[in-house]
Amino acid sequence: MNSLIRGTSVIVVMVIVWFAWSKIGAARLQKQGVEAAAAKTQVSQTARKASLIAAFLYMVAMVSVAGFFM
Amino acid sequence: MKIMIWMLLALTPAVAWSVYAFGLHALIRVLTGTVSAVLAEAIYQKVTGQKITVKDGSAAITGTLMGMVVSISTPLYAIAISAAFGIIAGKQLLGGLGKNLFNPMMFGRLFYLFVFPDSILPWRRPFDLVTSATPLEVLRETGQTAGVSLLDMFLGRIPGTIGEISTLALLIGFSLLVYKKFVRWRIPAAAFSVVLVLALVAGQNPFFHFFAGSLMFGAGFMATDPMTSPRFPKGQIIFGAGIGLIIMAMRWWGWQTPGVYEFTEGTTFAVLTMNLFTPYLNRKFKPVKK
Repeated sequence: MNSLIRGTSVIVVMVIVWFAWSKIGAARLQKQGVEAAAAKTQVSQTARKASLIAAFLYMVAMVSVAGFFM
Repeated sequence: MKIMIWMLLALTPAVAWSVYAFGLHALIRVLTGTVSAVLAEAIYQKVTGQKITVKDGSAAITGTLMGMVVSISTPLYAIAISAAFGIIAGKQLLGGLGKNLFNPMMFGRLFYLFVFPDSILPWRRPFDLVTSATPLEVLRETGQTAGVSLLDMFLGRIPGTIGEISTLALLIGFSLLVYKKFVRWRIPAAAFSVVLVLALVAGQNPFFHFFAGSLMFGAGFMATDPMTSPRFPKGQIIFGAGIGLIIMAMRWWGWQTPGVYEFTEGTTFAVLTMNLFTPYLNRKFKPVKK
């Protein structure tokens, strides 16, 4: 796996987690009665944080265990 | 701003020693890191319509540190991309200085280790630039700490990354920060204590572990980052102890994939892992007002 694919894969992981977290989080808040726009704003920061943690875990996993399968 | 200037001053002895030992190769890499980080921050803030804050010096520090944790074999583009990633993902995505979860430079360094694993090689010896193994590689190969001169390690006459080879130069800079009360000294104290105890238990020379790899740099300059380390004493001790524990575990067993990732040092993983616990440690050990 070359550097370009490795680098892109980190960004893809971040985008997927950020997107999923935003959608699921906003939907949950809306179920609790929060307005759609307010729900999006509230969940935005936690979604970004989750995407960073996912990128960290992904990179650590890849350089340790998953690297064996590359 | 003031703390950033002192931080840059504290890094100067280590950079100066590297330029003396490795020549302009070292200076070019440090400057590449600095310029890339500052540009990345300015461009990101311009594009997202935020106030440009590069004058606060934090991006320059992150970039300088990034340039110090690579070897003189590292291509400049790898440093530039990693510094930019550290700034944008590690710092700006969460809203900038003070809101980051991870140390931005360490996040950039993890990205660098993951994306450009071979680019740090070959390690070169100071002055004659001959390809040579680092002390931690010697430890990994032989299982012993006796083969390397401790004086050479202390002074910085060993192969390694640009800013981490000289413990003496790092100590001078770190002492400056302690004197100015800019660092949380309990963190490196706890990390070094754990390394000391574990090295003695394993029958290895603790000074080898103090002077090798990036323990001094990581525990002294990275783990003490005021934005991503615990605010309260008990939290700082647990944070530092965790870093020492992970570093020693990585030095002994490592996480590696032969032929792809062969790391002998775990400071990056240690600091980033403990960064995750900082919010919890801040909540848990917040002093109760009576």
